[in-house]
Amino acid sequence: MVTFLLRRVLLMVPTLWAIATLAFFLVRGAPGGPFQSEKEIPAIARAQLMHKYGLDQPLHVQYLRFLTGVARLDFGPSYKFPSRQVREIIAEALPVSLELGGWALLLAIVVGVPIGIYAAVRQNTTGDFAAMAVALAGVSIPNFVLGPVLVLALSLTLYWLPPALWEGPQSRVLPVLTLATAYVAYIARLTRAGMLEVLRQDFIRTARAKGLSERVVVLKHASKLGILPVVSFIGPAAARVMMGSIVVESIFSVPGMGRYLVNAAFNRDYTLVLGEVLFYAGLLMTLNLLVDVAYTWLDPRVELA
Amino acid sequence: MVSAPGTPRCRIASCLPLLLALGAGCAPAARPAAEVAAGHARYFGDVTPPLDDVLRFNLGAEPEIYDPSLAAGQTDGRVCRILFEGLTHEDARTLEPRPGQAYRWETSTDGLTYTFHLRPGLCWSDGTPLTADDFRWSWLRVLKPENAARYAGLLSPIRNAEAYNHGETADSNAVGIAAPDDSTLVVTLAQPTAYFLYLTQFYTYVPVPRQAIARHGNRWTMPGNIVSNGAFTLRYWRQNNRFEFARNPRYWDAANVRLQGIVGYTIDDLNTSANLYKAGVIDWVPSGYLPSQAIPYLREYRDFRHGNYQGVYFYSINVKRPPFDNVWVRRALNFAIDRDAIANGLLKRSREPWGNMTPSGYPGYEHPPGLRYDPVRARECLAKAGYPGGKGFRKISIQFNTSEDHRRIAEAIQAMWKNVLHIQVELSNQEWGSFMQGLTGLQYDIARRSWLGDYLDPNTFLACWITGDGNNRSGWSNRRYDGLIRQAAREIDPVLRFAILREAEALLLDEGPTIPVYHYSTNELVKPYVHGIYQNPLDVHPLNYVWIDRDWRNHEAGAPHALAAPGAEDAASGGPAAAGGAGRAPSAAAARAH
Repeated sequence: MVTFLLRRVLLMVPTLWAIATLAFFLVRGAPGGPFQSEKEIPAIARAQLMHKYGLDQPLHVQYLRFLTGVARLDFGPSYKFPSRQVREIIAEALPVSLELGGWALLLAIVVGVPIGIYAAVRQNTTGDFAAMAVALAGVSIPNFVLGPVLVLALSLTLYWLPPALWEGPQSRVLPVLTLATAYVAYIARLTRAGMLEVLRQDFIRTARAKGLSERVVVLKHASKLGILPVVSFIGPAAARVMMGSIVVESIFSVPGMGRYLVNAAFNRDYTLVLGEVLFYAGLLMTLNLLVDVAYTWLDPRVELA
Repeated sequence: MVSAPGTPRCRIASCLPLLLALGAGCAPAARPAAEVAAGHARYFGDVTPPLDDVLRFNLGAEPEIYDPSLAAGQTDGRVCRILFEGLTHEDARTLEPRPGQAYRWETSTDGLTYTFHLRPGLCWSDGTPLTADDFRWSWLRVLKPENAARYAGLLSPIRNAEAYNHGETADSNAVGIAAPDDSTLVVTLAQPTAYFLYLTQFYTYVPVPRQAIARHGNRWTMPGNIVSNGAFTLRYWRQNNRFEFARNPRYWDAANVRLQGIVGYTIDDLNTSANLYKAGVIDWVPSGYLPSQAIPYLREYRDFRHGNYQGVYFYSINVKRPPFDNVWVRRALNFAIDRDAIANGLLKRSREPWGNMTPSGYPGYEHPPGLRYDPVRARECLAKAGYPGGKGFRKISIQFNTSEDHRRIAEAIQAMWKNVLHIQVELSNQEWGSFMQGLTGLQYDIARRSWLGDYLDPNTFLACWITGDGNNRSGWSNRRYDGLIRQAAREIDPVLRFAILREAEALLLDEGPTIPVYHYSTNELVKPYVHGIYQNPLDVHPLNYVWIDRDWRNHEAGAPHALAAPGAEDAASGGPAAAGGAGRAPSAAAARAH
């Protein structure tokens, strides 16, 4: 187990380096630059700005400086918001996305897994079809439609909840619901598929033959394996929600990660783009590693080597 | 004057709820009892005044820099204006200069020397005395080349300021700013500048706290570090969320500041902005933050305000590329545009159709006749260019940065050119960075652009078309035009000057590389209980004397806006006001592409 973890962590280093390199040259290859405006910036000011951020140096020098910065987890100041370090921006926005995404994922699991199990147990009954129809609708309705509809109903018509902004517990409800819906539906479908496969296996028949109640068979024996597909989905999904959702964050004016990532790319805010990309890559790899570890606990047949 | 955003913001297609909400606008709502109040007086959403004296509004897109010496964007300026005050400050209604940090001033007879006398006992929000030398230090900070201030050019009327800014002289004593004692600032200009007192209220001219900058470096603007001299101080800031300002008890006119605080939310989604207003979470949505498709519906409400905004939306033609090097082709393209159909039809009267390059609203300036829709003449021009009936005319392309409105307008123009001139047009939308690179490098046929004025004078719209100007971006060069613009700059008589500029504009419209399309408008929502916010063509709003009227219903019947903040009038007395004449004021350089 320890050697497994050690090897995986060490493997992350070259992967991150490759991503850093690719991202650096891609973002620098994109047309335009960080100091552009429909109104011309005076040539002198532009030259000074380029000099200030070292953008007047040869590309390979900038690349090396970038790598040494990355090694120290220092991405430098944002070009767009020069009074702030990229590190600070991430540190401020991450807890918000973590909270929003955390609640959404939790809600998705708490609602989605039981629906999936129920549908699998009642396969091909009305209950199954109804559950899966709801899940299909959840997956199909894009959140840029769902969010505004919820706002219209619950904020602007009933005045129960604030329509946007991240202030106080009530403000969490609509963004969490909007973000969670697609995940609920997806997790329900994954659970159903996983359960159906497990329920056909020999050890389930053995359990039933032992005279265990259907309840124990399903909840204790089958569900542990049946939710494996969900577990492997949770890893990347968690990384994704932590990086924020541009759509949900814009609709509800949430100060999370998503708005930064998209806008930084538009603005050619090189340092912020690279900081966010590397952070996301690191997060994704770490969570995938955690998923692999979780597998050994859920499925005794899996061994880490 | 910056005209577009460095930031094409992602607009989410969340118009659905708002439109539905508007459609159902008359339906009885649970809480806002005033939705259908007192017969005809309808307001958009909740009109319950807040219990505290705090103004909550949508500040707009997240400001980039609110260090006033370096700031350049529209929302940057909004924050700077709340926190800082210059020698003069603008009247909320007319934007004319009123005494600010200086309570009186003298101008020499040749118009070259301004002597400002600071109010006695001025101090920063941390209690440090504010002296004339703070102004000198701050202005030199703007000019220092290493600080790369984008608006350093606004200081160029000052003697030797430009040379110092360009690094041609390193001697700060040569710059025409002197502080002979703590309360006197003497400014020497390079040439008489009738609008200089308008400049001294612009945020590039405000003093910045030397003591805080020395202590905190470029982090001095953070809450806790920042020290300011205006009516408010910064209490809290969270990026992509909000700014909280508190009343500054050390402000010289604090006794007349009635707001205890201001909360500026940074909301860039237009529908969210309107939703928050409707729900009564914010009291004011400044222009530019309402979805354009909602404006026809919002017009019905009493708290909606519409007016002219100093900006023109136009298409730029790259005259370096054939067939656009032929002036008859450019004329043909111009005459084939039905501006009325775009502004009134497509955009549902949210904009004014406009055939001139300079916007309206300059007293004394008479526009040359604007370009009109004339399909017959358009075809004649194209025939004269050698393409009768569009024969032999190559396929051309319209470039625009990705946005729903830009696309709809481009599609309309594509259809007009096809129907009138029988020419093939393709559309090419690009994300912001690529679009700007194509524009600057003259890699385009026709490109969407917009221009927002810096100060109230037609010159701000015409000077950029001279040969080689960084904002020309069309390759157009006309010696007679260049001569007229230079002649106007030297002309002291305002009537003659406007006549020269009028001639220049006529020439630009006849031969030029531009296709004006519409005139920008301000569209804003202000709750009826908010007093002291006025519509104006620069969209600049001093908030010092704004107040919340909890008894607004009783004031509503007569003239709702007759009520003025009592403090505003007091503040205005006290010094020789305003330079008469040209009346130019630098604006909140707006930083949005519409």
